[in-house]
Amino acid sequence: MAYPLQLGLQDATSPVMEELIQFHDHTLMIALLVSTMVFYTILTSVTTKLTNKNMLDSQGIETIWTIAPALILILIAMPSLRVLYMMDEVNNPHLTVKTIGHQWYWSYEYTDYKNLEFDSYMIPTQDLIPRQFRLFDTDHRMVVPTDSPVRMLITADDVIHSTAVPTLGVKMDAIPGRLNQTTFVVSHPGVFYGQCSEICGANHSFMPITVEAIPLIHFEDWSTSMLAKI
Amino acid sequence: MGNGPIRKRNHAAVQWQGKKRSARKRRGFKLLGILDVQNTPCAREALLHGAGGSAVAGLLHFLVTSRVKRSFDVGFAGFMLTTLGSWFYCRLKNAKLRVQQRMVQEGIKNKILYEGTPLDPTNKPRPSGPS
Repeated sequence: MAYPLQLGLQDATSPVMEELIQFHDHTLMIALLVSTMVFYTILTSVTTKLTNKNMLDSQGIETIWTIAPALILILIAMPSLRVLYMMDEVNNPHLTVKTIGHQWYWSYEYTDYKNLEFDSYMIPTQDLIPRQFRLFDTDHRMVVPTDSPVRMLITADDVIHSTAVPTLGVKMDAIPGRLNQTTFVVSHPGVFYGQCSEICGANHSFMPITVEAIPLIHFEDWSTSMLAKI
Repeated sequence: MGNGPIRKRNHAAVQWQGKKRSARKRRGFKLLGILDVQNTPCAREALLHGAGGSAVAGLLHFLVTSRVKRSFDVGFAGFMLTTLGSWFYCRLKNAKLRVQQRMVQEGIKNKILYEGTPLDPTNKPRPSGPS
């Protein structure tokens, strides 16, 4: 999960996020080299003793500094489009979870087999127990099975919210009157955190998303126990 | 008897220093504050190859022409080209490896799922003939 003063991306927990991290590293290296080149060029220009008061144009260098950026952009665009289309692939989801944003909590509905619905409120700071994370942990988690494609249908009840779980590479707006769809696969078990990513009022910072991924056999036990509780 | 507690304290202090050192190693080194060279695959190799290529190109140019400033420019160009080339080659190799790794994982999962069923890919077809 996130740590203080973090600059980079969180470790990936889904194949899509792994690809996004690869693309990010690729683009960052290109950006780093371009920045180094610009810095070197500025340094050379500032320290040179050469002056040519009659230079109006130069076909050679103008050709180079037109074609080179175009090539660089193509080198960035190709993997970018590949990842973009990969994120939109439909891969026969095993489970559908409906996520509804409210002011200021999330509710989840598992309606594939039986009607399982529950709300997920942030645990207030004064009610935290040791090992729980401030502003991240919730009273009920969205539980999903590992290694299974999960479809998330996202909407909102009042204003626009956005559900985001960085480690899964999931971010989708929850818009009232509209149903957005995203899919993800969790590679290994664990608890993953995210926060509302669209300003939605006073407690926008206090409606986190907690996803718990467990093996399928335990997921069946969990859904049975949740149905019994509700 | 007097040395016992002090020895234990020193041992604990050494263990704590070891933990701090390994935590520092895991944090990695951020080039220009943005690129985590140690934890990004291929970054360290690309930059080291770039540094080597830059030194070789610049030095060779200087030995041939004895022009200092131009040799620096050639060295810089060598750095850019070597870093880019090494980076793309390494990333392509890694990407192919990851695709193969996923295919192997999928194959192992399918083998476990379909073992003993008609869909088992390792089942050899029985020769048909008079019984």
